[in-house]
Amino acid sequence: AGRVRPQPPRSCEDYWEEWKHCRGLRHAFHHYYAHGELPDCGRWREDYEACRAWERDRAAAAQVPGPLLACPGPCRPGLPGQKPRSLGVWKLRKSPPPDWYLPLD
Amino acid sequence: DPYARLLLEALKQSGCTVFNDRHFSCENCDGCVSGGFDAATSQIVLCQNNIRQQSHMNRVVTHELIHAFDHCRAHVDWFKNVKHLACSEIRAANLSGDCTLLNEIARFKFGLKGHHQTCVRDRAIRSILAVRKVSKEMAEKAVDEVFDACFNDLEPFGRIPHSKADAKRAYRDFQNRDRYNANL
Repeated sequence: AGRVRPQPPRSCEDYWEEWKHCRGLRHAFHHYYAHGELPDCGRWREDYEACRAWERDRAAAAQVPGPLLACPGPCRPGLPGQKPRSLGVWKLRKSPPPDWYLPLD
Repeated sequence: DPYARLLLEALKQSGCTVFNDRHFSCENCDGCVSGGFDAATSQIVLCQNNIRQQSHMNRVVTHELIHAFDHCRAHVDWFKNVKHLACSEIRAANLSGDCTLLNEIARFKFGLKGHHQTCVRDRAIRSILAVRKVSKEMAEKAVDEVFDACFNDLEPFGRIPHSKADAKRAYRDFQNRDRYNANL
């Protein structure tokens, strides 16, 4: 038997909405303003299709051979669960600062 | 405000629940400073004499909460390591709405293609010079050395929020992060 793909982290409607938002004029403008280029929205559409495929697989109770999702949802930097890029600048804490809750004098 | 809501939730999840009467202070400040984060006391200072509009208040709160979030999740040496300070200032300028096109136009700074990054860089340098006695050259060097890494560290938003709608999307993603981690 093959491996069942894990549930996508977003609902399929969310991927669709993100794709539509990405392709909109407002987002294109903001992306150009921030990055100097127009956005590449193709990955949202791919993830939407993958999400629908997962739903069909689940509905058919299929054991689908193939790789687990290498990236949960769209592989974009900065997603929750991915390591922040600033790791080369500072070290992450294992616990919060000890004086966060200390009363002020 | 969805920016602040996400940051407060992220702080809570990182073990740093924010209590208004402990972690916020409204004071009169010199000059035209709008606010600050005091790492020595883990407190956000809001300059009540220099904030006159709700939108400005939202942005200042977001900016300082980003510093608080960095303080909570990382060993940031605010006082001795200019690169650490630069990194947090880059992130705060990038993610708080400081550098929207409208805000820049209001400052008579005009630009379009990639101007957001120019603004982030300039405001980070300006912030460093406001709080540390370092030369402009040192501030610029620190910002330039960490810019790529820190501009692309979008925690906890996962994207540059250009609007409240973007911030709401980011908040939705943040709430679903357990599903990301389960897949990982």
